[in-house]
Amino acid sequence: MWTNGIVRWLSTIVLAALMCLPVLADAGSWAELTPVQQEALAPLGKDWNMLANKQQQHFIKLSNHYAKLTPEKKERLHKQLVAWSKLTPEQRKRAREKYIAFSKVPPEKREQVKQMLREQEARKAAASGVQPIPATH
Amino acid sequence: MNELKLNTESIRQLLNRSTAKLEQPALAGLRNARMKALYRFDSRSAVPAFALAGIAQRFGHVFGSHRRHYYWASVVLFGALLFSGAAYWQHYNEIDNSEVDIAILTDDVPISAYVD
Repeated sequence: MWTNGIVRWLSTIVLAALMCLPVLADAGSWAELTPVQQEALAPLGKDWNMLANKQQQHFIKLSNHYAKLTPEKKERLHKQLVAWSKLTPEQRKRAREKYIAFSKVPPEKREQVKQMLREQEARKAAASGVQPIPATH
Repeated sequence: MNELKLNTESIRQLLNRSTAKLEQPALAGLRNARMKALYRFDSRSAVPAFALAGIAQRFGHVFGSHRRHYYWASVVLFGALLFSGAAYWQHYNEIDNSEVDIAILTDDVPISAYVD
């Protein structure tokens, strides 16, 4: 019977979907986020519901670190979050690799590079009228 | 009253005698029915291999009586399990990335330095 065939395939699809639910049911709308998550991800609030489910999950994981950050680091996070959200997965992967490689550079040399970058950023900011990200040192 | 004295043995003998008198088409029909019954019995005995918390017993009639269907259902289930596993693994790996990501985003070096 053809109805049996349809029921059989529907049952299989429903069963497969149920098995995948734990993975898919992680993220939600902006209103479903906790107040801490909303504060951490505030710069993304406007476009949150337009982000892909996978991206939402990625940022929710980031927001779990927010409570442990100093006020200065929270400010930096907010300033960089939108730019980070616009990167492709490949660009993020490359950024992680570069960051890890850079963190292995001796502290003195790293500080020199950071100083150079800060000066470069300050020049760019002065030219465009945007305030640069504050430095710790 | 003679019929009342019939026992299992005499019924068996009567049936055997009657079977010998059956015509060829009737015998062929009986053989077919027997084969179908055996096939159905065989298919049902394969169900416990699916025993996922009684799902197979519950949906046994839905999945049909042919082994072919069980084979395809197994393939789909295996595929779903593989997909779940892959998605979970990806999810797990992203947890590891969040530590690095938060370090990048809170560093005093702008992210453009790592992207360019």
